[in-house]
Amino acid sequence: MVSVLNNPRETLNNAHKGQQSTAIRIAGVSVSYPVGKKHRKTILEDLNLEIEEGEFVVLLGETGCGKSTLLRMILGQEHPTSGTISVAGSAVERVDARSGYVPQKYSLFPDRTVLDNLTMGPETSRYHILGRLKPGFRAFRRQVREEGLKQLQHMGMQASDGDKYPHQLSGGMQQRVAIAQALMMKSRVLLMDEAFSALDPGTRGSLQRLLRSVWSELKPTVVFVTHNTAEALFLGTADRPGPYKPQQRMWITCRTGYETSRIWNES
Amino acid sequence: MPIHSPFDIQARPNRLFAQALSCLLFVLCIGIYVQTSAKRHHENSEDRVVPNAHQLMGGIHTSVLEPAEEDDYLAPDNASKWELFRHSMIWKDTVASGKRFFISLLLLVPAVLLALHIGLFPYFGAGFLRFVLFFDKIVALSLLPILFILFGIDEASKIALIIIGVAPTMILDVTQMVKAVPREQIVKAFTLDANNFDVAYRVVFRQVLPQVINSLRLNLKPMMLFLFAGEMIAASDGLAYRIAIMRRHMGMDVILPYVLWVAFLLYLIDLSLRVLNRRMHPWFQS
Repeated sequence: MVSVLNNPRETLNNAHKGQQSTAIRIAGVSVSYPVGKKHRKTILEDLNLEIEEGEFVVLLGETGCGKSTLLRMILGQEHPTSGTISVAGSAVERVDARSGYVPQKYSLFPDRTVLDNLTMGPETSRYHILGRLKPGFRAFRRQVREEGLKQLQHMGMQASDGDKYPHQLSGGMQQRVAIAQALMMKSRVLLMDEAFSALDPGTRGSLQRLLRSVWSELKPTVVFVTHNTAEALFLGTADRPGPYKPQQRMWITCRTGYETSRIWNES
Repeated sequence: MPIHSPFDIQARPNRLFAQALSCLLFVLCIGIYVQTSAKRHHENSEDRVVPNAHQLMGGIHTSVLEPAEEDDYLAPDNASKWELFRHSMIWKDTVASGKRFFISLLLLVPAVLLALHIGLFPYFGAGFLRFVLFFDKIVALSLLPILFILFGIDEASKIALIIIGVAPTMILDVTQMVKAVPREQIVKAFTLDANNFDVAYRVVFRQVLPQVINSLRLNLKPMMLFLFAGEMIAASDGLAYRIAIMRRHMGMDVILPYVLWVAFLLYLIDLSLRVLNRRMHPWFQS
């Protein structure tokens, strides 16, 4: 049902190679940092991975095994010690709008209302700081606000929530808005770093279902980092019966042989 | 533990009693003052050190409704109170000090913007931070003679003293605030296609602004302190100048109202900044 990378060295074989374009390509990536004077601690070693357009990838592993590091490198926030990472065909040098990002905390701008959070992406990407003085801005803003309201309702929230500030929302609501905010940019890659880890089980479940429906609707490439096996299983296994399609989902478990085998058994 | 023990952390004094208690020290101070004043006036009816209510009223009248000594203005017979006030010494002094104060307040704006850049842009941090750290340790008042030599004893040297005294602390403070903005916010903004200046001014600056205003509120007193130091040493007008020259002929009847007036002004500025902050940033939770 799920394919597992026991060893990060192993490259995933794509059954449909060539048919679909590669969204994220990780080639020979190693990360290590110096500990003390002589030793270096290796986090990731010679990792090769190709994630295709529209795949839902869950990175599962223990805390500190490098899954978040990998995500931050795809994002462009950190750089590999060696190797290259490319998203949408070009190498990642810095954080840019190629990927959407939903972190565990601080995902919303506290000084903006929910609706302003949603419209911020499209507004800034078209009109930068001084561009807001241009004549077309107000009309564009109205249009984006309407779109934002629609997106908000699509996320299962009410239009009246649009005027609230993030601190007035519950944690689950905040993450809903954060997903909506990332979707407003219509970027094809969505990177989520322990996005639901701070939520209580009930809220977490509803957000997981939301994310899955968003994915099956829009088919963005999703990389989801979690340390929770149940969550990984739920998000990573198909909700529909039928043969496993290798381009859909996959798992990477870092280093933990025990957990790897367990996933095999359960699925 | 008795119920009304002052050392009971869990005590719940009733509201009225708590209010009364908060007024106690004020009443006590005024009482002691009146007592001392009465006693001294009993010994010497011309006592100027602890003026009584009558003398204080006279002092207030002199400073508020009579033209300042150095002013050549002669009030016409039918002059309104407002017109008298406009030529009074307290008005002239407040305007003179206020001008210096607000000019330095305005000059702190570029300092805050510089701090934003130091905290956010690595090259700015590399270039400026160490220098500001060093500069912060220089005792501003020790530079006063140098400032007088460089700028002369007029406005520029006093404003420079305030800026040199307050700006480095302010810059370091704001730099810390900027660095405390979660990295996620900056990364998120970049994924929303923001450019560097969007991130600096529309994400980070907006978020730290309420904290910057709070920091400014704390720095109001140092600013006033440096202003008064400058004015007392070399000035021909200003609130501190008046207090300094009043000392020469023991004009406690004017000094005391002036001290309270300055405190009141400072309180007013602080209050307006606080209200402004709350109105402008309803999302901010300190």
